[in-house]
Amino acid sequence: MPAGSLALLTQGAVVSLLLAVGAIAGGTLLAILLAAMAFSRFEVVRAVYRVYVYIVRGTPLLVLALILFYAMPALDLRTGPYIAGTLVLIIYTGALFAEVFRGGVLAIPRPQWESARSLGLPPLAMFRKIVVPLVTRYTLPSYVNVCVMTVKASSVLSIISVWELTLAAREIIERTFAVFTILGLAAAFYFVMCFGIDRLGRRLERLLALRGFAGVRA
Amino acid sequence: MIAIRGLEKSFGAVQVLHGIDLDIADGEVVALIGRSGCGKTTLLRCINFLEEYEAGEICLDGQPLWYRPGPDGVRRRVPEAEARRMRQQMGIVFQQYNLFPHMTVLDNVVLGPRFSQAVSAPEAEALGRRLLARVGLEGKMSAYPAQLSGGQQQRVAIARALAMRPEVLLFDEITSALDPELVGEVEDVIRSLLSDRIMMVLVTHAVGFAREVAHRIAYIADGAIAELGPPSEVLDRPKDPGLKEFLRRVRG
Repeated sequence: MPAGSLALLTQGAVVSLLLAVGAIAGGTLLAILLAAMAFSRFEVVRAVYRVYVYIVRGTPLLVLALILFYAMPALDLRTGPYIAGTLVLIIYTGALFAEVFRGGVLAIPRPQWESARSLGLPPLAMFRKIVVPLVTRYTLPSYVNVCVMTVKASSVLSIISVWELTLAAREIIERTFAVFTILGLAAAFYFVMCFGIDRLGRRLERLLALRGFAGVRA
Repeated sequence: MIAIRGLEKSFGAVQVLHGIDLDIADGEVVALIGRSGCGKTTLLRCINFLEEYEAGEICLDGQPLWYRPGPDGVRRRVPEAEARRMRQQMGIVFQQYNLFPHMTVLDNVVLGPRFSQAVSAPEAEALGRRLLARVGLEGKMSAYPAQLSGGQQQRVAIARALAMRPEVLLFDEITSALDPELVGEVEDVIRSLLSDRIMMVLVTHAVGFAREVAHRIAYIADGAIAELGPPSEVLDRPKDPGLKEFLRRVRG
């Protein structure tokens, strides 16, 4: 193996993970807001939600990344590719998480809403005590799914010169021509990160599947 | 007291309540009986506004609930915050218990007082413990609903409703989903509430139990009260032919 390539790949993997973590955190917050819009009383707000999801979900991440990369300097936002890259990942995962959460809210049985309403719970308590705990449990597997996908999707950002695992691998290959060794190593790094998130998700599932709560473990 | 006047309710094109008039006095227990689909559950759900209704009025202690005439004379729903305050004066227990599955038994009971009525945590917890002891579940405070039998879950649901210190308790066929051997423990809890002189409206198929606990029984047919009176009249000397037939069937 070419000297120093393992250290470079490790650094690249750290950057990829940071990008993914930022995107997951930002995307989750955005998605909560979006999902709230999806259940708005006002048709206009719901329409905005739908249009957002259709557009973002219906466009390749690569194309979105390129658009944002070229648009930001044009808008005179002097940000590097990292900001643009994180932003595009947030926009993308936001739409995916939002649909996951929307599905979770739809899965809350009507009697649960009625119980909460009949207790006269104010909206914030309803959200904190009923909606969040139930939706978290219902959606955890699909949430983790999107998280894992985000780690891998971050590789697309190498196109807009975000130096992360995939770009690091390509640089090393250009110097050394050790194509399969380096790509194999990069793939292994991605796998380890995704596997870690998977295990974390399972652990969280077990934690939340409190005694008796419907949640059969696979 | 509760005063219901001219209550009308439709689901789409189907009218299910045709002008219900019913008064419930303080401390009175009224049972609603009738065939399935007659509108008795819908009536109960209208009382605490789980269902909207198109016409009529429901008053609690003279205070009109849920709707109020606007400046143009057309009635409007009261604001959500006000509806929440009104709901807190009533407790409802459902056929399927509907406990919150992610909360312990104690948390289920404490939730309402704690977050709807801003009772302090220690006070709400003390109240919760007292009520759970009252329904005979002092040993199950930290259990989750899925770990309990149906009868136990239903007793928790009753404690949860009581925790709001309601003026009225609404019971929607609360023993219908239970195994026969568990019905007794839930009925015992209701019996024990009679001494509290709290208003109760119970929708039930258990005519024997209704005779025992209700001061008056309303027989509902096709969305209207067809017969209303003390059990000794409604059950023993029914006049309405539909009621006679209904009683013959439920008594087998």
